[in-house]
Amino acid sequence: MTQVTADTSSSPRWQSWSVPAWVEIVLVVASSSLLLLLLVWGLAIEGSSQFALFCLLAVLAAFVGSKLGVWDWLKGIYHSHRRVALFMAFLLPLAFPFTQNGDGYWLRVFASIGVFAAAAVGLNIVIGLAGLLDLGFIAFFGVGAYAGALLSNAAFTTVHVHLPFILVVLIGACMAALFGLLIGAPTLRLRGDYLAIVTLGFGEIFRITVNNWDGLTRGPNGISGIPDLNLFGFDFGVAHTFLGVELPGFANYFFLEVFLIGAVALVFVRLNGSRIGRAWVAIREDEVAAAAMGVNVVALKLLAFGIGAFMAGAAGVLNAHVASQVSPDSYTFLESILIVAAVVLGGMGTVPGAILGSSLLFIIPEKLRAFQDKRLLLFGAALVLLMRFRPEGLIASKRRRAELHRGQTEEPGTVMADLDISSGQPGLPPSVVEPVVAADAPAGPRTVPNG
Amino acid sequence: MDQFLQQLVNGIVLGATYGLIALGYTMVYGIIELINFAHGEIFMIGAFSGLTVYNILPESIQANYAVALPIVLLFAMLGSVVVAVLVERLAYRPLRNAPRLAPLITAIGVSIFLQESVRLFYPGAKAPLPFPRLIPEGQLVLGGVEIPWVSVFTVAVAITLMVILQLFIRKSKTGKAMRATAQDVDTARLMGINTNKIIVTTFVIGAILAAVAGVLQGMRFKEVDFNMGFIAGIKAFTAAVLGGIGNLPGAMVGGFVIGIVEAMATQYIPYGSAWKDVWAFVVLIAVLVMRPSGLLGTGSRTQAAPA
Repeated sequence: MTQVTADTSSSPRWQSWSVPAWVEIVLVVASSSLLLLLLVWGLAIEGSSQFALFCLLAVLAAFVGSKLGVWDWLKGIYHSHRRVALFMAFLLPLAFPFTQNGDGYWLRVFASIGVFAAAAVGLNIVIGLAGLLDLGFIAFFGVGAYAGALLSNAAFTTVHVHLPFILVVLIGACMAALFGLLIGAPTLRLRGDYLAIVTLGFGEIFRITVNNWDGLTRGPNGISGIPDLNLFGFDFGVAHTFLGVELPGFANYFFLEVFLIGAVALVFVRLNGSRIGRAWVAIREDEVAAAAMGVNVVALKLLAFGIGAFMAGAAGVLNAHVASQVSPDSYTFLESILIVAAVVLGGMGTVPGAILGSSLLFIIPEKLRAFQDKRLLLFGAALVLLMRFRPEGLIASKRRRAELHRGQTEEPGTVMADLDISSGQPGLPPSVVEPVVAADAPAGPRTVPNG
Repeated sequence: MDQFLQQLVNGIVLGATYGLIALGYTMVYGIIELINFAHGEIFMIGAFSGLTVYNILPESIQANYAVALPIVLLFAMLGSVVVAVLVERLAYRPLRNAPRLAPLITAIGVSIFLQESVRLFYPGAKAPLPFPRLIPEGQLVLGGVEIPWVSVFTVAVAITLMVILQLFIRKSKTGKAMRATAQDVDTARLMGINTNKIIVTTFVIGAILAAVAGVLQGMRFKEVDFNMGFIAGIKAFTAAVLGGIGNLPGAMVGGFVIGIVEAMATQYIPYGSAWKDVWAFVVLIAVLVMRPSGLLGTGSRTQAAPA
């Protein structure tokens, strides 16, 4: 986020300067490397107040940058050198463990962030692309985690089998997807807000079941002593020395997660650009219109739900190994809210958004110990303020932004502006554009006008 | 048989509270189609406001239930109403025309915010706090069924409030305006109804009912907790959906059904008490699958609304 603001003092004319391609590539590499350096530097800051100051400066720099148009300019450059940018996006996370001098503290935190971020990208398909609010998403994560715990011969397992990790990931993910379809099939034909409550209910049912099913899950004690991963003879639990730098055990998990997130992100991006992705957008915008255009609404919603759950399940299996234990307290409603908050905060419908959101939600409380207790309070307030002032999140998808800011300032040329049916009457003040009541709505005195 | 009747009574008492909260959900949803996630917290704040006032009262008044109870109820309502109106004004109203997801996420944020505010800033609220009973101990014995007076009072108050609410909605001018707004906000505005005022009124009525429910629950369980609103709110919402959302008598019926199901399941299903919070969700899913418009609801609610 934080970028050099020194070179922005010149007039906006600099934005139209044409520079040779190699300069732009150097700029991409330099600016993204600077980001990593700033992150490493920020993490090394001791003391809550200094870190708060650092965050404040970062926010300020981000704000100034956006006012001066630096971000749009950089975005353009990143866009024209997508391959370089993508390469850096992979390289820099992989470089991160080498900056820690063998210290495992932040790598442990980042390993937790990694699984959470992978799940958040999965949830982003459900929320960001298909527009379905899932308030029990952590249950799918939990299904995966319990599958991972039970099938890899943990010290306290109740099922004494040890399957290969790849198989366990598939089983965990498929089980989560199955649950997703089971819960989704009857409810996805309902309106969105019912879905939110039913998924919330499912999340609670999962937690209570896990809490009570002593024979399988050991109830509130959970299952601990989950062994470290061992892939092809490579033990994830021990430190390795690579290029003369000692990498603690968590670095192994972190590397694996970078690839997992990469895979999840690839699925996300490919889906988003496909016919399916466009159908999801259509459903999100207006279900009735989408159905009228021949979109199979229920099947596609179910697909989004299933894919999201699948990804969460896969992330959950990995989480079991990273955390080395699973217990019902890790899969409460609040965790579901956290993951929704990560997606909403970062930006609905974008991969970097989900990753940034999850990182912030983990790093900030970890650094601001003084605020640890007030973490949830701040989340609550942040959700409200965000919806009020920047509903598209920190890293917004263009479409989402157009959608969420309709009725305010409709920038010319925004993607969805002309597709927006319900408030598509230009010239009417927003207050006039209320939900329209369908003509066949029953005329009972207290019925809901919902069509 | 006695055991069955006893559980039936327990369920009705439980359901009376759920029904009172459910009315708030159903009215707000009926008018602005928002699942007011924070409504459970309004219920909790009612209980805490009542407790605060009770603790301030001098001991002589505390002991005199006939004086203390109305004061506690009044201030509980006041606390809930103030918070509910603030929430409506600051969080929901600016999003009146936003896509549906935005107000729902805001509601979740408000819910967390209120819950955490009480937990962090109300003295001693990190653990459950004792609540006075304010009703003479002892019980009404009907055959083999024992009903504590506080439960009798709970059901009596709940039913009275429902009747008053029903009369208010049916007979009063404001009630008529509320019905009109629920049917069609635009047309209601064109007919000269100040719809913003009606929406606030809806929130106020919902908050009053929730506050009463909060005090009643505090009196019955003799304690209040900062997270009491979450699960009660979910069950009440289930009750509202069960009865047919937007339908006032439906919310009450739904509340009673949920209460009775919970009481019966606890008694008759093995290990029932460990699972007691599950039944509401099971009922909810079953209802949504089989009769999405609810028991007393009309029309289909399975289609998408205009975004």
